[in-house]
Amino acid sequence: MATAERDLGASHDDSPAGKNQWESGSDVLETFSYDDDISRKFAVATIVWGLVATLAGLIVALLLVLPTAAHGLEWISFGRLRPLHTNAAIFAFAGNAIFAAIYYSTQRLCKARMWSDVLSRLHFWGWQAIIVAAAITLPLGITQSKEYAELEWPIDLAIAVVWLGFFGVNFFMTLIRRRERHMYVALWFYIATIVTVTVLHVFNNLVVPLGLWKSYPIYAGVQDAFMQWWYGHNAVAFFLTTPFLGLMYYFLPKAANRPVFSYKLSIIHFWSLVFIYIWAGPHHLHYTALPEWATTLGMLFSLMLWMPSWGGMINGLFTLRGAWQKVSSDPVLKFFVVGITFYGMSTFEGPMLSIKSVNGLSHYTDWTIAHVHSGALGWNGMMTFGMLYWLAPRLFQTKLWSTGAASQHFWLATIGILLYIVPIYVAGLTQGLMWRAMDSTGQLMYPDFVETIQAVQWMWWLRVLGGVLYVSGIVLMCINYLMTWMSRPSQYETPVHQAPRLAKNYAGKDPHPDSQLAGAPVLNLAQSLDRWAKMGWHRRWERLPVRFTVLTTIAVVIASLFEIIPTFLIRGNIPTIATVRPYTPLELAGRDIYVAEGCYNCHSQMIRPMVAETKRYGEYSKAGEFIYDHPFQWGSRRIGPDLAREGAKNSSYWHWLHLENPQAINEQSVMPSYEHLLHTTIDFDKIPERVYAAAQLGAPYDQELEQAPEMAKAQAEAIAAEIVSQGGPVLQGEMMTFDTQAVALIAYLQRLGTDLFATPEAPAAEAVEEATEPAEQPSDEESEDVAQSAIRSDSVRTRLVANP
Amino acid sequence: MSSHQQDHDASVHDVLPEDHVPDDPLTGHNYDGIEEFDNPLPGWWKWLFIATIVFAFPYLAFYHGGAPGRTLADSYDRALAANMELQFAEIGEVRADAENVVKFLGKPSWLAFGKTVFKSNCTSCHGEEGGGKVGPNLTDDYYKNVKKIGDFITVMENGAGAGAMPAWKNRLSTNEIVLVSSYVASLRNTNVAGGMAPLGQEIPPWPEPPEEEETPSDQDAGSGPDNGSEETTGSDEASADAESDDPAAADETSEPDKTTEASQ
Repeated sequence: MATAERDLGASHDDSPAGKNQWESGSDVLETFSYDDDISRKFAVATIVWGLVATLAGLIVALLLVLPTAAHGLEWISFGRLRPLHTNAAIFAFAGNAIFAAIYYSTQRLCKARMWSDVLSRLHFWGWQAIIVAAAITLPLGITQSKEYAELEWPIDLAIAVVWLGFFGVNFFMTLIRRRERHMYVALWFYIATIVTVTVLHVFNNLVVPLGLWKSYPIYAGVQDAFMQWWYGHNAVAFFLTTPFLGLMYYFLPKAANRPVFSYKLSIIHFWSLVFIYIWAGPHHLHYTALPEWATTLGMLFSLMLWMPSWGGMINGLFTLRGAWQKVSSDPVLKFFVVGITFYGMSTFEGPMLSIKSVNGLSHYTDWTIAHVHSGALGWNGMMTFGMLYWLAPRLFQTKLWSTGAASQHFWLATIGILLYIVPIYVAGLTQGLMWRAMDSTGQLMYPDFVETIQAVQWMWWLRVLGGVLYVSGIVLMCINYLMTWMSRPSQYETPVHQAPRLAKNYAGKDPHPDSQLAGAPVLNLAQSLDRWAKMGWHRRWERLPVRFTVLTTIAVVIASLFEIIPTFLIRGNIPTIATVRPYTPLELAGRDIYVAEGCYNCHSQMIRPMVAETKRYGEYSKAGEFIYDHPFQWGSRRIGPDLAREGAKNSSYWHWLHLENPQAINEQSVMPSYEHLLHTTIDFDKIPERVYAAAQLGAPYDQELEQAPEMAKAQAEAIAAEIVSQGGPVLQGEMMTFDTQAVALIAYLQRLGTDLFATPEAPAAEAVEEATEPAEQPSDEESEDVAQSAIRSDSVRTRLVANP
Repeated sequence: MSSHQQDHDASVHDVLPEDHVPDDPLTGHNYDGIEEFDNPLPGWWKWLFIATIVFAFPYLAFYHGGAPGRTLADSYDRALAANMELQFAEIGEVRADAENVVKFLGKPSWLAFGKTVFKSNCTSCHGEEGGGKVGPNLTDDYYKNVKKIGDFITVMENGAGAGAMPAWKNRLSTNEIVLVSSYVASLRNTNVAGGMAPLGQEIPPWPEPPEEEETPSDQDAGSGPDNGSEETTGSDEASADAESDDPAAADETSEPDKTTEASQ
């Protein structure tokens, strides 16, 4: 059966479609061959990284149900490995898959070899090196903490060079040197991918470096969050959707041997997808401190995105009309059908989740996790597997080792996905409902956060089982690929093709469809509109790759600027709060530890204006509270409670014990031990560079600029003294307690969310000291000028320096 | 469609014998063997797309047209007010003083309220049942920072022990502070299993809650009809015995806690 399909592909390779030949207007026949070696490389890399990414996923899933399994080893804690899993799945697995697809199909759709074999190889090896760098740096805690953009700036630079300089240049030069006049829809999607990912990557990763492996983003708080989710959402759009649609448009009609359902639908859904997707990012920030107008735009454009997304699904599934019998026998088509179906499901679910009231329930819960896995495992995974099984016999020029094994892989993957997502949907709903459940007296029914985690534990176990099935499917594919590779010919054939060179000037005619309304008694405008709707104009664009690329770029950039410019320019978006002060040097260092450990993977710092939420966590978060947060730490998931108002909520000694062994404080906790922070020293001499960078980004520091280490030391001593007075140890092993990273982290945690209630005046200092004495301030209102809990105001810092 | 395209369709049929290829008109495009039908946009698709676009305008006008009371902050304020009304319509905003702590010590439905506040905020240090963990045991007869019942208020509001006990003034409403104080006071001498060793000093017993206000009906607004009558007995015993110091009384004071637990 695979051979039947090979025949189709081969027959066309040899005979350039005569239909278009006259359009070229050139009689010069050129001879060329395709570079399939590069597709082989990317295909194999896809399989290897697919295994790594899903295994990493399995490990982090296990760490949630067996939180002590890591034994406090920092390199394999959930907070550090989860980004490794997501980055591996997106950039290593899906990334290599789209490169395999693009290198294979672009050459054939352009009737041209890739422009430069050297660039192709630089792209391949450069990308693999980036992945390896990610796999090394992320477990070491080197991270920017922006989801799917965690990699630090040197790696980001490498990504930009490899993506645009190697891959992009090679791709666009191939387009320009093509021998097929018009560009097929798959190529449009590839163009959109390359352009948009470049824009997203560059603008979300603008940072001030502090040394080689640490940086602060130039954006803070609300704006950083906006940029991050503009990026994050469109990474899904332009890394996991558009290139896979391109993949679908090439490999599905090939495998099904059917024409694509509708060319017009391709045009409309391509442009609407590209233009509308960009706006939708703020739906990741509903009910947060992001201005409401932005989240409204995010929601409305997400709703508009529903049909453009489904346009792709329709064009995919309807292409199989008359070929459904093949689906039952051909594993390639099985993978494609289920993949496209998952695409349809998740692109319905996405707009639904972007409706504010639905999002209020789903956000921060497992629902999001289920949603992304139905997309990643269902759409990206299944499309990739389908493509790989279709490619295997063609790339290795032999028969696929076992069609049966491919079918088994299909069933393992399908059942694995269902076993993963169904329990996680249930878990998400359970959590969302438990968090907001109130009894008849208006109080939280589940006030203890850990109850809501315990309730879903068994579902997390089912997810592990689903993951095991999915991974074993990939193992089966590895074996299939290996065996197929072993039966390859001793030397690959390189078929030679011929096609005429494209003439400089297009001799053909662009279609000028007549309006049905010609001669009818209607306005000229109506006729023009009717002609426009026939989309002859688009045919012209399809033979002008540069113009097409420019138009795509404009669509993406204009849509972005409509949201970005107001977000940055309207002052009213972020009302100033006078009591919000920059972090102290020690808190800054502690914050960097929070970032490095990936705490944001489990703890949000964003209390939404909902009664159930403010009852649980305290006053809702205000935009003005985050102006010194480079990067923002709002998070997207609550595996642990929100920490936006963690400051002064628990004693420092409590934090110390909790970091050392969370289960000793709370048996049901799923937090791993951070004991290593109790044994690692803070490098006080490295603090000034953080202070300088923060000052450069606008923090109004003064004496901090000269005395950062002294101030940090003094504050560390004060906190250590607090810990000791509350029952903690003076020495941690050989080390004084105040020297430990744990103390810096505690300093940061104790600051979180306290500024809102701080008084800018001196009495705050006294209030702290006198807090033990009852009733010194008999004000019985809950007014904002209460000083007692505001531990760190200016005067406190001064005091800490004065009396170490 | 045109006869030319019909012909083309026929030829495709010949090339692809398997199953069938739909009869739709083709565009004539051919890329590496891939062809495209010239099908129109499905009607339902087109109209749903237009509908999602049109929907944006009334939505924007409604929420962002400048009409008052439609922002997120407004709706939160309303929800919060409704919640406060639900919770505290009966008692209003109480003053944070010893008198009120004693008063609610005798009202099990309000002790249940205090218990939820305790569960939300206090168990991480004082343990699920108040037996102490990082913070002291609240179920024995010894206290570190409390000498009389009103001191609960000040400790709760301002913290104690140089931050070992955090200040809750900005986190909890005055009512919540009073009610959680009453709840903690009610834990005295319940001596839960596995509690920490006593800390601090023994102090005189709490004053007796005023009995004349205790009627079965006045608790219901707070806790719902299902637990009102049951708890009246518990509360009577608790208030009657709160002052006595003998071991039997210690058991009795735990009654409100048990009943409220059952009601959860």
